[in-house]
Amino acid sequence: MRDLRVWIVPILLLVVGALVLYPLAFLITESLNIGDPQIFPPEEWGAGNYLELIQEPRVIGNTLLVASIATVLAVLFGFIQAWILTRTQIPGRDRLERLMELPYYMTPLIGALAWGVLLGPKTGLGNQAWRAFGFNSDFFNIYSPQGIAWVMALFEGTVAFVMISAAMKSMDPSLEESSRVLGAGKLRTALRITLPMVAPGVLSATIFVFAEMLGSFAAAFVLGIPGRFYVVTTAIWESTLSYPPDYGHAAAMGLSLSGAMVVTLGLARVIMRHGSYATITGKAFRPRPMEVGALRYPLMGIAWGYIVVAVILPLAALTLTSFQKFATVIIPQMQFTLANFRTAFSLGSIGPAFANSMILGVSVSTLGVPVIGVLAWIIYRTTMPGRVLMEYVVMIPQAVPRLVFGLGLLWAWINIPIPLYGTLWLLGIAYFTVFLPLGLRTIAGVVLQVDKSLEECARVCGASWLQQMRTVTLPLLRPGLVAAWLLIFIASVRELGVSVFLMGPNSKVIAPSIVSSWLSASSELSAAMALLQTVMVFIAVAILFRVARTVTGAPG
Amino acid sequence: MTRIEVVDLAVRYGDTTAVDSVSFAIAPGELVTLLGPSGCGKTTTLRAIAGLETPHSGSIHLNGDTVWSARPKRNIPAEKRGVSMVFQSYAIWPHMTVFENVAYGLRVRGTSAADIRDNVARVLDMVQMGAYADRPSSNLSGGQQQRVAVARAIAFSPTVVLFDEPLSNLDAKLRAEMRVELRELQRRLDITSLYVTHDQEEALAISDRVIVMNGGRIEQIGSPEDIYNRPVSRFVADFVGSANMIEGHVTSVNGDGSLVFQTNAGSLIHAAAGKRDSTTLALRSSYIHLRPDEANTIAGTIHRRMFHGDFIQYVIDWPDGQLIVRRPPTELLEEGSAITVSFAPEYCVLL
Repeated sequence: MRDLRVWIVPILLLVVGALVLYPLAFLITESLNIGDPQIFPPEEWGAGNYLELIQEPRVIGNTLLVASIATVLAVLFGFIQAWILTRTQIPGRDRLERLMELPYYMTPLIGALAWGVLLGPKTGLGNQAWRAFGFNSDFFNIYSPQGIAWVMALFEGTVAFVMISAAMKSMDPSLEESSRVLGAGKLRTALRITLPMVAPGVLSATIFVFAEMLGSFAAAFVLGIPGRFYVVTTAIWESTLSYPPDYGHAAAMGLSLSGAMVVTLGLARVIMRHGSYATITGKAFRPRPMEVGALRYPLMGIAWGYIVVAVILPLAALTLTSFQKFATVIIPQMQFTLANFRTAFSLGSIGPAFANSMILGVSVSTLGVPVIGVLAWIIYRTTMPGRVLMEYVVMIPQAVPRLVFGLGLLWAWINIPIPLYGTLWLLGIAYFTVFLPLGLRTIAGVVLQVDKSLEECARVCGASWLQQMRTVTLPLLRPGLVAAWLLIFIASVRELGVSVFLMGPNSKVIAPSIVSSWLSASSELSAAMALLQTVMVFIAVAILFRVARTVTGAPG
Repeated sequence: MTRIEVVDLAVRYGDTTAVDSVSFAIAPGELVTLLGPSGCGKTTTLRAIAGLETPHSGSIHLNGDTVWSARPKRNIPAEKRGVSMVFQSYAIWPHMTVFENVAYGLRVRGTSAADIRDNVARVLDMVQMGAYADRPSSNLSGGQQQRVAVARAIAFSPTVVLFDEPLSNLDAKLRAEMRVELRELQRRLDITSLYVTHDQEEALAISDRVIVMNGGRIEQIGSPEDIYNRPVSRFVADFVGSANMIEGHVTSVNGDGSLVFQTNAGSLIHAAAGKRDSTTLALRSSYIHLRPDEANTIAGTIHRRMFHGDFIQYVIDWPDGQLIVRRPPTELLEEGSAITVSFAPEYCVLL
């Protein structure tokens, strides 16, 4: 027992450190390789790959353009939703607040596919209808920077909502009330008290969303590639496809991108910590909602509008498309069929993709949760030396865009003589590595919630360490472990960024298969596949919500 | 024989010393309180006895057995020490029923099902929670959780029970009730108890002896009357009860050991006993009369009167500044009236 405790930290550090740092080390060496990009270790070293980046400002410009538009829209959506749902009295507010999580589970990939089906040039359902009304051009072409930004903004809107509403909720209502009592009017209070209190939250949400946007891949992939519109992430992808693949260039781009994201996210955190007056107490208040009178129905409409546009409309479009032979909204021309679903299950490579994703989802979360559970327990419950270092190492994958991490893993595993490349094993290892931060944060939330004296009391009552674990610690952690299992399962089933690089002909998984079907085959088939993936995810989400309710709610 | 003996205990966190050379012994059936402000080391001492905190030096003995010592190195784990503890947060396991919570200590000791049933029923009745045995424990009120925590702590008949501020999360009225109940239970079962609190009133009311701690060290050990009437330091006089601190010096010592203390403003006060070199005289607010019926008399005026219900607090202007005086609510005097304060030499404590 004693020996195990001494060795467990170094062993875990070594394993986790290798999984996380090894691909990054490969990425860094490769980015400095200016000789033959196919040879490892490099024969010529230099900063040439980084200097090349500056010579093509178009991609950087595109990235900034899309990220800026999307950030402005997302923060606008998030702010409006947060204000309506925390500060006004609209009917059904609690249910709406719960529904606000759904757009997050829609994923940018599904959103991009759905909006492609809705507003793709000429054939998009919306554009078809527009033309049917007698217009000669498209209503809107989603295959555009604005289109990509729109899809991303709908997704990131919930992220902004969560951050901004947290800032609004953590504001003590007595701060506003005392302003009113001291004689300031509603408007003056809003400008002089409310706005300065909420501003840091809004600002840090803005920066956070912007950073996420820089590293986003799926929407630009689905909606940008057909029109040859590239952002940094899709350009990385593209340069690995060229012949010979330019890994050095891709690596330099990827690392610069992570660098930019780390700096931006750091900035958001600093603003959050130092600039925010409202979150100091960490206490949640329920601000007294404003009396909005007759305005409450229009406001409720706006709040529901976001859910409709971000979730209901895309799912409806995918459903309508997936059941037709040729997608259309013109009723006499509709030909309904189940063929797309039949194909999805039977097609040589696609059927196995669903099975593979299920296998990966179940096994990565089943094997990952115990390991991450031990990590979380060591990091947040013990005083073992090395635990702070461990936390840093485990959280690193969060700072690197998935796609860039995938590139590093690809390059790392091509160059070592263990034949894992192209197998599900490699995908499993990769998923485990990139979902470490997600798992750790989820389990840590519960570990920190469990009062230490609950464990101590068991010991004082006479229970050994093992008895304490079995009868007190594990039962109390169970909801958190189940939630972590489901979240990792969901994340695995919809994973795209790492998978596109590591998938082989015999190890296909869903998300990349949907994309390649979208880019090369029919949109009706892709819609059917996307719908099936969404159903898998939403079933898991439904279970997750149930579990979450038993954690926070009454016993039973 | 002693139940708990702590010898020269020191606990350190990095460079800070939380507990420093603390020694005391507790006899069977005694209830001893560790009293002091937050951060004085009282809870750390308690946790070290329970085995939840690793001391730096010294030794801890329970029922004659050494459970911790620095040299020779010996550390019995918490679960083998046979002590029991009531936590400040109660630490009621939310995933178990009331019965399961209370039965826990018996179950891990492999007690038979029938014995567990009898014992749990017995202690739940003792704390008047018999009717709640099958309830889930997560929606009990604070007072009910408190009772369950006490039942759980005594269910497996431990030789020693440690109480870590068990009443601090209850409202004032319930706290006063539980205080009486806890003392009753402790006397009835003859449980040796070490009790941590920052509430001086609580400490005086329930203890056989009180240990006053400050800055990691023991200031004074004594019966509640000792602590209140004969504080040994300015800290104890100030922390326990309400006292006036009067600055000055001793001018003469009489043959019987009594002294004359001259305040800075020149008033002379007779004290029954004390140290020759002391410069502070502590005087309890409750021991001051507003009539000239005791040996020491000084003229003053009533500056302010505050009616507290159980007593009236007067602020008296006198040559050395202001005096706080507490009188029964029947002694109602007007603000501004000239009075003579008086107090007995026996209650003048020279520090």
